[in-house]
Amino acid sequence: MRRPALLLLGLSAALACDKRGQGPAPTPPVATAPAAPTATERDPEPPGPRRQTLLRGAIVMTATGKTYARADLLIEGSKIAAVGVDLPVPAGATVIDLGGKTLTPGIIDTHSHLGVYAAPGLVGHSDGNEATAPNTAGIRAGDAYFPQDPQIDRARAGGVTTMQILPGSANLFGGRSVTVRLIPGARSVTDARFPGAPEGLKMACGENPKRVYGSKSGPSTRMGNVAGHRDAFQRASEYQRSWAKYHKDLSEWTAKKNAPPPPPPDPKLKQPADQSDTNDKPDKPPEEPTPPARDFGLETLVGVLRGEILVHNHCYRADEMSLMLELAATYGFKIRSFHHATEAYKIADRLAAAGTSASVWADWWGFKAEALDGIRENAALLTQAGARAIIHSDSAHGIQRLNQEAAKAMFAGRHAGIDITDDQALRWITANPAWALGVAERTGTLETGKLADLVVWSGDPFSVYTVAEQVFIAGELVYVRGKLEPHTDFELGYLPDELTAPQAPK
Amino acid sequence: MRTLPVTLALALLSGLSGMSAEAAPPAARRTTAAPTPARAGPVYLVGGELHLGDGTIIKDSVIAMDRGVFTIVGGPEARARLPAGATLVDARTRIITPGLFAADTQLGLIEIDQEASTHDDGKATEHPIRAAHDAAQGLNAASSLIPVQAVEGITSAAIAPTGGLISGQVAIIDLVHGDHRGLVARPRAATAAHYGQTHAGSRAATLAMLREVLADARSFPSRRAAFDRAQSRPLSAHPLDLEALQPILRGQAVLTLSADRASDILSALDLAAEFKLRLTIIGGAEAWKVADELARAKVPVIVQPSQNLPVSFDSMGARLDNAALLHRAGVPVVLAILGGVHNLRNLKQEAGIAVANGMPWEAALTAVTLGPARAYGVERTHGSIAVGKVANLVVWSGDPFELSSAAVQVYVRGALVPQVTRQTLLRDRYRDLKQFNQKRN
Repeated sequence: MRRPALLLLGLSAALACDKRGQGPAPTPPVATAPAAPTATERDPEPPGPRRQTLLRGAIVMTATGKTYARADLLIEGSKIAAVGVDLPVPAGATVIDLGGKTLTPGIIDTHSHLGVYAAPGLVGHSDGNEATAPNTAGIRAGDAYFPQDPQIDRARAGGVTTMQILPGSANLFGGRSVTVRLIPGARSVTDARFPGAPEGLKMACGENPKRVYGSKSGPSTRMGNVAGHRDAFQRASEYQRSWAKYHKDLSEWTAKKNAPPPPPPDPKLKQPADQSDTNDKPDKPPEEPTPPARDFGLETLVGVLRGEILVHNHCYRADEMSLMLELAATYGFKIRSFHHATEAYKIADRLAAAGTSASVWADWWGFKAEALDGIRENAALLTQAGARAIIHSDSAHGIQRLNQEAAKAMFAGRHAGIDITDDQALRWITANPAWALGVAERTGTLETGKLADLVVWSGDPFSVYTVAEQVFIAGELVYVRGKLEPHTDFELGYLPDELTAPQAPK
Repeated sequence: MRTLPVTLALALLSGLSGMSAEAAPPAARRTTAAPTPARAGPVYLVGGELHLGDGTIIKDSVIAMDRGVFTIVGGPEARARLPAGATLVDARTRIITPGLFAADTQLGLIEIDQEASTHDDGKATEHPIRAAHDAAQGLNAASSLIPVQAVEGITSAAIAPTGGLISGQVAIIDLVHGDHRGLVARPRAATAAHYGQTHAGSRAATLAMLREVLADARSFPSRRAAFDRAQSRPLSAHPLDLEALQPILRGQAVLTLSADRASDILSALDLAAEFKLRLTIIGGAEAWKVADELARAKVPVIVQPSQNLPVSFDSMGARLDNAALLHRAGVPVVLAILGGVHNLRNLKQEAGIAVANGMPWEAALTAVTLGPARAYGVERTHGSIAVGKVANLVVWSGDPFELSSAAVQVYVRGALVPQVTRQTLLRDRYRDLKQFNQKRN
């Protein structure tokens, strides 16, 4: 009997979390699974006086629409304390002269499998697709995230400061994502987790679920895919209802239990000779309501219905994305971002109207039938139509140069006569993905009060010759080209110089 | 800034379409190294900054192309040789380079990667030796992938079959969309094979099989009669495959071997020395570790600069400056997109990445033009801008490797490539979405 008690404890913790964000009871259990700490509590701001660093004399591209030809940025602790021209040097501040180099927000990738498909691509490293059932909404990418994946170091060297790690797209519901920061030295996902970032749910349309399950349990067609989506959300609504009923019953029961016992009958008063009189026995307390069986998969979907878990939907074709928008409207949830979305440009108006972003590649196309219509102007056409465009990687190589991917998409737009500004293209890889991950309040632009997630570029970030020279995550300098290039445990002993060169003392 | 007169452009277009009707005999039947003579009329480009592809730069250049080949290449002094009254294409402010050459690709053999019905790149058989497999006979010149690459400056490609230990024959094509009979510029320029743990589960087994096949192939011409009389011991491969290996044993064609691990590359060098092969290494993730030996053997290495990940234990030493280190050591470096057929157009970006990581700019240009032509043994006809060579050329709006630059004009065999692809058609159809809502109402 200890187990249900523990479960209830977990539940009450989850409920406690809910009250902050949502309205009054009754509340069903929510996706904040017991083991996942709510990261806001862990937002690391070291005690003591806050370290100040002034980055001076840079071209500052803020991703808010404003670009400074020459400005300074003050970091205080983990945050940006000021952005402006000729900022005064605070006493005791470290000053880094950037000599006209370019400063941008840290790059954010909405779609990565680093850590769940770690390099080398060994059988033992394949942890990205729980391809055992088409609906594994209850599993979490964070549980498989391997912080010793050497690909993480390369991504950081490309200026990436935040990324969403998603389960793969084999399943209709792949599971929950985790948003992590690319800090070196993380020993578990908990160390890397972005404080306060909401979880995401990976969903998939189209060919992948069909291909993986066609010869197994199904689905084997797009009909089966959508039926699986619909069925799951229907069951989630019912699950939500059954929990609502439980909470209602429980609160009534609790009220009754805690109510003061009725006063003993006054013998002097004459009792009405009704039936209750004859049935009057010692009160048997009503039975405590039993909670419905807990289902972590349905909890995830309830989290989606409540707007607390953000939907990231792998979907290529315009017709399928349109259908998914209709399904979401039916069940009353939002799709935060379509991923890959090679045909997003065909429904840019619908995406803009739905407030759904599209995470796209600059130029991938043709590797499967549903990707045949991919074009380089996708992001530019989306932006022109007022939709929120994002350039994502889904690649351990692409993530290293998302600035170049954004550049290709931007110049393709311009060559086609679609006027995309540098700031807009920068937003494709900073502010817009921050929004899609639900962390736009904290990162994604260079503004006072936001986390100091920054990249210093050797030149124009949209040039092929430009490299990231310095990377800051939450105010901490985590990468300096040629000087501070942290490597994971995995590469020790494989890197060419380490076995011969004397180790530098730390 | 396009200064090409409309009439001339139209003439060039009709020249291009005319080529398909009555051009050279089918690729399969041609055996010479001569490029398909195109019927494109004369084009004169003047004023551009010309990079020949061999390291030479000519300012204020003059180029003439006629019937598919370069007829004049020079500086301002060559203006005197232009015919009076010729219509000139003004290329001032432009950079002109040879067309880019995509190494080791399956362009025209694959339309959609994950759809097997669109694949003609590999021969499905259990036998690892498929040397006679000439995949280029099944090339689809109407592939939608060809214009997508061509409009961004890819003008030639080495079409390699895949699968097995020896996959088959590599053909060199020029990217003339739709010209089924004329696409192939040079059939059977190379034989494609793979080293590493390709065969029977071990490197030693792979190497032993390669040695056995090459030894059988070497002795096969003298034993052919005995074989036909069934008086020969069993051979390691079909007679047609052994015959197909004769050109590489005679040094008339190249053997390409894919290999990433440093130890594999050394084994490949030993094999090439033993059989006196003209070798090109493909992949070469750890080639920088054995750069001196590669330089001494003058063996070209085809690498993809962006591939810096330890994706397997064969490429633990992968690094971004591989191309730069190889070049510095004197290895003939070729840059390529390895794997994937749809975005060969990003070759220029790969060249830029190589430069960003230390490769000299002009060397990177050679590595995507004359370098691949040499690596496949077709440098006499392809890879650089020189009189008599196939007129494959690109006029760029700026630095060809920069992401901001575009190919303003692309000429393949002297004919201007129309800037229309399936992708531009899709883009223009969905540029204005209001029309779809209007249609519905």
